[in-house]
Amino acid sequence: MLYTNKLFRKRDIYNHLKYEALFFKAIKENCLYLYKHCAEYKKILDDKYFNINRDLKSVDDISKIPFIPTLYLKRHKLTTIKHKSLITVTSSGTSSRNKSEIDFNLGFLLRAWNMTRRVAKYHKLWSIKPTRYLILGYKPNKKNPAAVTKTAFAATFFAPGISRTYAIDYVNGEYKVDLDKLKNKLVKFAKGRLPVRTMGFPAYTYFLLKQMKDEGIKVKLPKGSKIMLGGGWKQFYAEKVDKEEFYKLAEEVLGVNDKNIVEFFGAVEHPILYTDCREHHFHVPIYSKIIIRDVSTLEPLEEGKIGLINLITPIASSSPLVSIMTDDLGVLHSSCKCGEKGQYLEIIGRVGIKDIVTCAQGAEEMLKQ
Amino acid sequence: MILFQGQVYKDSKQDELISKLYETALLTLKNKPLDPLTVINACDKLYKKVMNHDFDDIILPLLETFDISYPYFLDSAKNFSKEGLLTKLKIELGEDYASLSKLKSGTKRQYYPLGILFHVAAGNVDALPAYSVIEGLLAGNINILKLPSGDSGISIKLLSELIKEEPILKDYIYVFDVPSTEIETIKRLANISNGIVVWGGDFALKSAREFAPINSKIICWGHKLSFAYASLDASEKELEELASHICQTNQVLCSSVQGIFVDTEKEDEAKKFADRFFNILVKVSKSGAKYDLGMAGKNTINLYVDKMEDPSLYLLNSDGVSVVYKKDSKLELSYMFRNVWIKRLPRDKILTLHKNKSYLQSVALLCTDKDREILSTLLAQAGVTRVSGPNSSRLFLGESHDGLYPLREYSRVVEFDK
Repeated sequence: MLYTNKLFRKRDIYNHLKYEALFFKAIKENCLYLYKHCAEYKKILDDKYFNINRDLKSVDDISKIPFIPTLYLKRHKLTTIKHKSLITVTSSGTSSRNKSEIDFNLGFLLRAWNMTRRVAKYHKLWSIKPTRYLILGYKPNKKNPAAVTKTAFAATFFAPGISRTYAIDYVNGEYKVDLDKLKNKLVKFAKGRLPVRTMGFPAYTYFLLKQMKDEGIKVKLPKGSKIMLGGGWKQFYAEKVDKEEFYKLAEEVLGVNDKNIVEFFGAVEHPILYTDCREHHFHVPIYSKIIIRDVSTLEPLEEGKIGLINLITPIASSSPLVSIMTDDLGVLHSSCKCGEKGQYLEIIGRVGIKDIVTCAQGAEEMLKQ
Repeated sequence: MILFQGQVYKDSKQDELISKLYETALLTLKNKPLDPLTVINACDKLYKKVMNHDFDDIILPLLETFDISYPYFLDSAKNFSKEGLLTKLKIELGEDYASLSKLKSGTKRQYYPLGILFHVAAGNVDALPAYSVIEGLLAGNINILKLPSGDSGISIKLLSELIKEEPILKDYIYVFDVPSTEIETIKRLANISNGIVVWGGDFALKSAREFAPINSKIICWGHKLSFAYASLDASEKELEELASHICQTNQVLCSSVQGIFVDTEKEDEAKKFADRFFNILVKVSKSGAKYDLGMAGKNTINLYVDKMEDPSLYLLNSDGVSVVYKKDSKLELSYMFRNVWIKRLPRDKILTLHKNKSYLQSVALLCTDKDREILSTLLAQAGVTRVSGPNSSRLFLGESHDGLYPLREYSRVVEFDK
């Protein structure tokens, strides 16, 4: 993983042009490693008649690497690790059937740490001030290997935490959401001097802000406070609000300016840290490449067109995550007002939201039994 | 929410109201049976209001959610007009439903309602619970409705409107929002009912068989699957109409075609047919309402994964539509939203469909005139309940429901000797 490690040590995290050649070498290195060490991955490439040395010659060929849908990873566990893996992380599906389980090794952790360090530095997330954390998510426990929990917890280390309060507690074997507790803490902390950082699902944060507004609660959080969002909107697509409305609400209820609202994006199957810029756009860092594909033919689409999001990164050698097809729709843009030259990703939403249970579908489920 | 004799109550009153329900119902049964014309008039008045766009604020969002086009909705709404319901009544119970001829012995015959009907509604179509009650009313029954979980409130709204039009109906309509987990309450309601009408999947049907007393009749409206059957010489025009049906319904209805069985044993012929139909589907899809980007994306991912798992899969996919040739001959659901499977099923194997029993519903038959009769008969013998042209979701006044007449299911004939 010579080239890959090198890539993850680079400082200029959004300068694709500068590191294009290195990125390509890292991808090829990753493909060859996975092909050699993961029999299932070898079969996938062979079935598609993809020969790495023959077909992967330049950066333009990256789109030809057979991708693996996250759906496939939910049905099949793919790993290069022969014995017990260092850590195994699952995606945040609701049942064991729709979760992917991904193994990670030490090499991955080092690269991820290097990436996080640089990204946090670039986005000025590090602070030495003691900070109070309010986490609108799960309290970590041994039984919850979901990545969002780990990410939320990890995010509380950007500044030294002197307290951590969770919205979702693990009580008697089940999760309980307690927004009231967070509300009371916010009111209390607003009177203090230490900055507050909230971290959690956008939907929960929105519900909390809305509830506070409805109850006429308005506070001004201490200087340096931040609202951090991550984990996507999940099952709350219907409630998905305009980002502008969200920022206005945060300013009104907590006195936090949108410059202090930061959103993260990532996935277990593509563990790259995307952080929004001051224009609230997710720029693609040098560690990855995004291809938007036609919803039917899967051919790459040009910038500005909506399609399926294909995420590419060499970060993992423990699992074939080099080219992953998500079940999200998105669109790529460039020329962001923030000044970064590279592309940024706009996520439109999950495919198949209209997934209603129809009468025909019901019969089918029974026929299968 | 609870609807009890035209009044809306909070769920907290549930036990109190249920405990006096049987007594109240018996008082109603003492009266002369409900005249179907009273129900028809109330529905007709409501139907006219719907045509007058009085309920558009409720209806339009529903159509959007369920991907139902406005013309299709208007077509179905016609069934609730006076003409529609009278036709239904006469077809299902016979022209002479009100004055059945006497038996040779001089014995008089008369239709009576079963008495008390308990409707256990499904949540997949919002207006269905109220529709089920209307059918029960047409046969003259007292109706108890258990709302599906997540009911939007439309059932109580609709039925309250109906009572407003004909206040006498208030004694015949009772709605409770009992969760499916409250088995004891459900059993209480089932115990006082002559018939239990169950909508939903096999799970709902199975649990009804468990909670129903042995002396209550169970009427099941379960899930169904529909498909097309085509001979190799099916005409271009028919295939175009089938494609258009698939695009219009997005295959979400029980009567929507999920895939096509082709009358051949030969794999290359079936594949050729798949190619042919795919080209037609692409063309037809482009000319009509645009496909849903998200659903097409979802299908593409599913199909891509299927192909990873079985690299020999024959798959055609572009422009938001997909056709896949499968080697087996099993009836199954497609991914819907313009995804169609093609399978071989030579005519001498049509009877193998029999194993699907009551899951079978409509078949769109595409063949030349000379084959139509023999294929129709074979399909009927296998167990389907409707053989249609390319559009299997067409709505005809008086058509049966999954091969049965609900009003007959909800009625009994009483004989009075001279």
